[in-house]
Amino acid sequence: MGKTLFEKIWDAHIVVEKENSPSLIYIDRHLVHEVTSPQAFDGLRMNNRSVRRPDLTIATMDHNVPTNNRTLPILDQTSAVQIQTLEKNCKDFGIQLFDINSPNQGIVHVIGPQLGITLPGSTIVCGDSHTSTHGAFGALAFGIGTSEVEHVLASQTLWLEKPKPFEIIVAGKRKNPHAVTAKDIILSIIKNIGTSGGNGTVIEYRGEGICDLSMEQRMTICNMSIEAGARAGLIAPDEKTFEYLRGRKYTPKNYESLVEYWKDNLKTDSDAKFEKKYTLHIDNIAPQVSWGTNPGMTCDVTESIPSPEDFSNGDQNQKKGAEQALEYMALKPGTPIIEIKIDRVFIGSCTNARLEDLIEASKVVKGRKLSPHVRAMVVPGSQMVKKQAEELGLDKIFTNANFEWRESGCSMCLGMNPDILSPGERCASTSNRNFEGRQGTGGRTHLVSPVMAAAAAIEGHFVDVREMDLN
Amino acid sequence: MKGNVIKYERDNIDTDVIIPGQYLKVHDYAELALHAMEGLDPDFHSKVKEGDFILSGRNFGCGSSREHAPIALSHSGIKAVLALSFARIFYRNAVDGAFLLPIEIEEDAYSDISEGDEIDINIHTNEIKNITKNKIYKMKPFSEIIGKIIEAGGLFKYKPD
Repeated sequence: MGKTLFEKIWDAHIVVEKENSPSLIYIDRHLVHEVTSPQAFDGLRMNNRSVRRPDLTIATMDHNVPTNNRTLPILDQTSAVQIQTLEKNCKDFGIQLFDINSPNQGIVHVIGPQLGITLPGSTIVCGDSHTSTHGAFGALAFGIGTSEVEHVLASQTLWLEKPKPFEIIVAGKRKNPHAVTAKDIILSIIKNIGTSGGNGTVIEYRGEGICDLSMEQRMTICNMSIEAGARAGLIAPDEKTFEYLRGRKYTPKNYESLVEYWKDNLKTDSDAKFEKKYTLHIDNIAPQVSWGTNPGMTCDVTESIPSPEDFSNGDQNQKKGAEQALEYMALKPGTPIIEIKIDRVFIGSCTNARLEDLIEASKVVKGRKLSPHVRAMVVPGSQMVKKQAEELGLDKIFTNANFEWRESGCSMCLGMNPDILSPGERCASTSNRNFEGRQGTGGRTHLVSPVMAAAAAIEGHFVDVREMDLN
Repeated sequence: MKGNVIKYERDNIDTDVIIPGQYLKVHDYAELALHAMEGLDPDFHSKVKEGDFILSGRNFGCGSSREHAPIALSHSGIKAVLALSFARIFYRNAVDGAFLLPIEIEEDAYSDISEGDEIDINIHTNEIKNITKNKIYKMKPFSEIIGKIIEAGGLFKYKPD
C-alpha cells in the first residue's frame, strides 16, 4: 500500500521503532525562542550535557520584545532577564542567535522560511505550538514543550507517538481572492471540523484551492492547524515551494539536486490511505469573523451572532460554551457581524504578518484614514518583512492613515509584551487565538484576515470586504 | 491516589486561561502556581488543596505549547486532570515532566462526579472510585508509550526496552 507524505517523512526520520513503543525520531531543525527555552538550558547545565547539534539549532527572540523603540532599554525587568538569558544560553552553547538588533530578527515562524532554514521533507520542532506553519513547505513541523526542547537540544531526537494522517481537500476556486483569503479558508475549516477535529492527526491540505495559494498564504493555513487540534499540518511541495526557497541565506548549496529528489519523493501516493477526510468547497465562501472565545466559534461576515440555542443539539457543553463566550465577548445573539464596533486593530503575528499580508491590507488603507475611535497597529513579522515593506512604501500608506508602524515581534498576539488590550477593549486581530484574556486580561478578540482587519480599522466596524475594490 | 474534585463544566479549557501569557516570564514555580487558572477562575488558588483533581470536558489544554500550564497546576497541588479529551501538547507536557496525570474519562464519570466529591484513581486497574457517591467508573487506559513514560517518572528517566 502507498504512503502519505507525512508517513514518508516520518519513516525517513526513524532512529528506533519497535511495536508498542514510542518511536525515536530524528529532528533536522530546532528553532528556539526566549520563553520556552530557559529551563531546558538549565537542565542541560545541571546534567552536564552539551547541545548535540548547535549547527541545526537557530534562536531568536520574539515573544517578549517591545515593538515600539528598539534603541531604548526594555522596561519590563522579567522580559529583559528572559532575553538576556537567551543571549547567554546561545553564547554558552554555541547556538546562532538572531538577537533584538539583528536584521534577521523576527517571529520564529516568519524567519525560518525567509532564511531558507525551513526545508521540504525535514522535521522541524520549536517550543511553540505554531511551529505547524513550516508544514507549508512539505516539512513535518510541530510544537513541543520545554522538556522536549531539552531532549532535542541534548540528543537531536524525540520519543513520539505516531499521529494519524488526515486529508483535508480544499476544492474549487475563490471568486474574489483579494477579499476571501487563506485566513478565511482555515477559519472555515476550523469552524466546520471543530477545535479538536484534528486531535491526534497530521493534516495534509490538498486540492485546487491549496495549489492556487502562494507560499505565504499556505503558511497561514498550516499555522492554524494547531487550532483544529492537529499535531501538524502540511502541504506537498511544488514549483512555488522550490522557487520560494531558491537563493535564500541558508538555502543549501546542493539545492537543485535536492529539488530533484523532493519532486520524486515528497508526495502522497495515489493508493495511500488517510484515517480521516474532510472536504471544504471554497467557490462561495465568505470572509470569516470569529465571534466567540475559540477559533471554531466563527461565522460569515454576512451572518449574525448565533444564539446558544443553535448549539443545544444534545450537547450541553457546547451550548454552555457559547453562552459563556457571548458573555465574555459582550455580544447579543442576532446582532449582525457588520454592526460590531471595534476599538483596536492588530495586523501582525505568525499567522498574518508577512509581506503579502501587509500588501493586501495596504490596498484597503491607501488614501483613507483610520476611524477616529480606533487604534490600529501594524507589526511586521520580521525585520526583513519590515524592510521589504518600507521599500514598497507600505509604512507611509499605513502611517498616513494614522496606523502605527512598529518593530517586528509577536506583539499583541499573546499578551506577554507591552502590546496588550485594556479590559473590555474589542479588537479585530489577524492573529490565531481568541481565547479569554489572550490579548490582555478582559480583552475581546475577533479573528479576521488582514484585509478585514484593515477595513474594520477604516470603517470602525466589520464590513463585507467583497464589496470593496481591492485590485 | 485519593483526592477531591474541582469541576469545570466546559470544553476547550485553553492554556491561556490555565496560565495567562503575562506569567510566562515567571520562573519560580511557586509563584506560577499563584496564577494557575487565573484566566477562568480567580478563586482557584484559594480553594485548591494538595492532592486535588480537576475534572473538565473535551479538549482540555488546547492552545499553546507552554509547559508552564501543567507546572502551574502541579505546583498548586493538582495531581491529575480528568477530562473527556486532551489537546496533545498539554497531554505530553504533563507526562514528560511528570507534573500530573492526564486521565481520559467517559461521559458517565464526567456527568456523575460533582464538585467536591472525593475520588480514588487507580491507574493499574483503570478505575475511578467515587468515594462520596460510592460508584465506580472506567478510565481510558494510557497508551503503551505514555504508560511507559509515566512509569519511568518522565521523559528523561524513560529508557527504551
